[in-house]
Amino acid sequence: MNPEISAEMVVASLRLMAPETFLAVYALFLAVLGAFVGDRGARALSTLTALVLVVAAVGSVIYAPLERTEAFNGAIVVDPLTAWAKGGLLLLAAFAVQMASVVFARDGSARFEYPLLVTLAALGMCIMIGANDLITMYLGIELNALAAYVLAAFRRDDSRSSEAGLKYFVLSAISSGLLLYGASLVYGFTGAVRFADIAAAADPDNVGLIFGLVFVLCGLAFKISAAPFHMWAPDVYEGAPAPVTAFFATASKIAGVILMARILMEPFGDLHDRWVQVISVIAGVSMIVGSLGALVQTNLRRLMAYSSIANIGYVLMALAAGSQLGVQAALLYLALYLPVTLAMFAGILALRRQGEDLERIGDLSGLARNHPFMATCFTMLLFSLAGVPPLVGFFGKLAAFQATLDAGLVVLAIVGALATVVSAAYYLRIIKVMWFDEPVARMEPAGPTLAVTLAAGTVLSFPVLVVLLGPLETAVRAMSALYGP
Amino acid sequence: MAITAVAFYTLATITIVSAFLVIAARNPVHSVLFLILTFFTTAGLFVLMGAEFLAMLLVVVYVGAVAVLFLFVVMMLDIDFAELKRGFLSYLPLGGLIGVILVAQFLLVGSAWVSPENAARSPAEFGEGGTAEALGRILYTEYVLVFQLSGMVLFTAMIGAIVLTLRQREGVKRQNVATQVGRRRTEAVVLKDVKPGEGI
Amino acid sequence: MVGYDFVPFVEWGTGVEWTLMKVGQILAIVVMLLLTLAYILLFDRKVWAAVQMRKGPNVVGPFGTLQSFADFFKFVLKEIVIPAGANKTVFLLAPLLTFTLAFAAWAVVPIAPGWVISDLNVGILYLFAISSLGVYGIIMGGWASNSKYPFLGSLRSAAQMVSYEVSIGLVIITVLLVVGSMNLGAIVDAQSGGLHTWHAFKFLNVTEPATVAVGVVLFVMFVVFFVSALAETNRPPFDLPEAESELVAGYQVEYSSTPYLLFMIGEYLNIVLMCALITLLFLGGWHLPWGAVNDPWLGFLVFYVKLWLVFFVFAMVKAIVPRFRYDQLMRIGWKIFLPTSLVAVVLVAAYVVFGRGAA
Repeated sequence: MNPEISAEMVVASLRLMAPETFLAVYALFLAVLGAFVGDRGARALSTLTALVLVVAAVGSVIYAPLERTEAFNGAIVVDPLTAWAKGGLLLLAAFAVQMASVVFARDGSARFEYPLLVTLAALGMCIMIGANDLITMYLGIELNALAAYVLAAFRRDDSRSSEAGLKYFVLSAISSGLLLYGASLVYGFTGAVRFADIAAAADPDNVGLIFGLVFVLCGLAFKISAAPFHMWAPDVYEGAPAPVTAFFATASKIAGVILMARILMEPFGDLHDRWVQVISVIAGVSMIVGSLGALVQTNLRRLMAYSSIANIGYVLMALAAGSQLGVQAALLYLALYLPVTLAMFAGILALRRQGEDLERIGDLSGLARNHPFMATCFTMLLFSLAGVPPLVGFFGKLAAFQATLDAGLVVLAIVGALATVVSAAYYLRIIKVMWFDEPVARMEPAGPTLAVTLAAGTVLSFPVLVVLLGPLETAVRAMSALYGP
Repeated sequence: MAITAVAFYTLATITIVSAFLVIAARNPVHSVLFLILTFFTTAGLFVLMGAEFLAMLLVVVYVGAVAVLFLFVVMMLDIDFAELKRGFLSYLPLGGLIGVILVAQFLLVGSAWVSPENAARSPAEFGEGGTAEALGRILYTEYVLVFQLSGMVLFTAMIGAIVLTLRQREGVKRQNVATQVGRRRTEAVVLKDVKPGEGI
Repeated sequence: MVGYDFVPFVEWGTGVEWTLMKVGQILAIVVMLLLTLAYILLFDRKVWAAVQMRKGPNVVGPFGTLQSFADFFKFVLKEIVIPAGANKTVFLLAPLLTFTLAFAAWAVVPIAPGWVISDLNVGILYLFAISSLGVYGIIMGGWASNSKYPFLGSLRSAAQMVSYEVSIGLVIITVLLVVGSMNLGAIVDAQSGGLHTWHAFKFLNVTEPATVAVGVVLFVMFVVFFVSALAETNRPPFDLPEAESELVAGYQVEYSSTPYLLFMIGEYLNIVLMCALITLLFLGGWHLPWGAVNDPWLGFLVFYVKLWLVFFVFAMVKAIVPRFRYDQLMRIGWKIFLPTSLVAVVLVAAYVVFGRGAA
């Protein structure tokens, strides 16, 4: 029989999961509060939510246990890695709420459900990060996804937003189906849902298990928008409200990648030679599709979507190594890439002229002459994304290539290198438009939130901060050791 | 045992045939009705396995509530399905290929089937209280996290549905029961003493 | 295949004797129900007439006692008319479904100590499941008629029944929590100690304050259940699906002859079932107000009398309460009954956990 859980154990587990518990309770509280206050108080509730998310983020990091601890009889893992990841994504969620509060206030469409849904999505991501069995994993994904569909369609009177929501919903539902089908195969062939038990029962020659694994990976690849499961990304990035896009492009990547890494390394760690082709193909195709697709885009948000597809490709390339080095590289890449992306979106949000949002590359024409500060920030961020040496983006890519070559995946590394060259082309095209094209009319001044985010992200991408890289790398190395190989 | 075998094969056949007809039926309302039949016979299969609580839940939740709403929506739709299905054949090569691959996979997976030792326990082990009690015991202890998380998922779905559909329209007259009931005679009726032949 | 032993939750007996016995029981119950129905229909009309100071049916047989049988023959002997645009299969399936389900529900209803066709562990859940299927007969009938009034009537009906099922389910849960079993026999036997142990009147048990508190909650639930039962069976004042002044006869407009009869039997059988459920869940089933009953015949008599008394209240409500407006109906269901019964579930659960020690 299953071991019983006593009330004390539940309380102890809830204490371990303090950030999640806090967020869940707060979400319920917010729903009631919002129902009474209504949309007039949306601004205040947004600020409150951002504060709560920051508190949860800080709490998650401060109260993190020093080593791997399991809650709820092994359904959830809490360790420094998950704690820091949760801290990071909750901060990103707080940014998303705060940025949205600025943006929605501009066009008077502020509603209190927005912070509520972001809180719920963040809760789902926290669960995904900590998930240690198939059921918890699925519920985390679904909690996040349900909130995400609605967030994507949040501007329901805008046809592009509705389209984004619907597309995301339909495709995501299919991918959830794949994931569940795979999970049921894995359960059927191993008789276990806990990752540790699956690892113990995993037999590399078991066809059913391999099929289950492939289906699970396909489902997860969809969630992190890796090619060939990326079809939704450009439309959703373009159609969803911009702060929501920023949230998708950053926070959900953390959750997805950490979950993917855990799935690959823990339950299926011994099956590396089975999944390495799958992940390599997904990584390679993502890098190619992302780079080539971005070349023909004229819309900045669509371009960022393809850029994120390509970047996920590099992360998966590192993971394909199947070694500690690989996980370490993937985490480092993510840690360096996300602030840059967030700053990019803050910059795009700040592009406004005569009360209209601008999102075409042509609109940036001559930005350097009218707004030298913004143009400089953009340039630095784009150089970092392209992986130009002194900037941090380079170090992420370097680590990823190292891990890949270390595992002997030479072809994959070559594909990655080619993709990097192609991607440099479209990043440089934007820089050229900004600095050398004829200027158009001036933009409206950006609000303080957006400007600070943009500047902070730029500072983080600066070569000066290379000094910070050392400690970061040590930390990442320590954390990746938490994954059992 | 013979009677359960007969019951099993009857129910299983109906399940598969009606599941097929869900897709094959031309009329969408018929599709939903076949879907309901599928749910119902599946519940019958659960009963045969001794999982009577699950069977009843399946009927109450899926047949009694979810499918009713399906039927509701489908009946209200005015979609020409023949029109929708035009051009269907042009997808046949690709769809057929994927279908064949899937069938091949099923065969491969099915042929590899070995029962893991601990995948499923016979409901006979649950003893006196039956599966209802056994489910309750683990749902509120070992799987309490999962249980609560499912609650959060449903909560999210509810909020989402409200966000996407609720519109506060201007100029709608609403009934306010409290004011209706709280109305006094003095506010509603004015007594006038009308003199004969003068009018008001 | 996994080597399961099938564990049938219905204990299948073996042999011809057992089969014959079950068939006999089923026949007995069906005949009993149909006879009850014949007279309950008459009773309904008589009460209605009496309230309106009419005489009601009084031509066929002494005091009109054979009226229902005359109606029966009238229905059966008429021609079945199927509208030209109707979906024939579904059109005919709908009344059959209603009729069958109405009888199927009685398989688990104990009508006297030990008198039940199938003594299920999850009896009450089975009843709930079957009664939640009842809505299909109505939707299918309304849709298949291919006509506007029936369609509108069936939509109204579906929404109404689904809404009230929610509160009925929650009310049933409160009773289950107090008893600690889903077996209908066990629920009745928990009320064997006289009037103050009946769930509707538990608040009379003045010796224990906690029981009085939960008794008050249960009394409220009793009222909620009664009203929801009216709505669930489309009885006046909630007979909006067939509101004759708006929809002619709702989903039944296009039905005639035997299919109509089947609908009608199904509908009234459901009403009788609800009366039986109220009796079993709240009014002590076959137990007398002053003590337990163990003799099946006496028990059946007591149960039967209670059932008729509950139906009398149903009939009186039909006669004296005006019809609700549709938005009022929905408002009561979702904004009053649902929260009330939810709170009641919490209160009763608290009583079970804290009020009388861990159950």
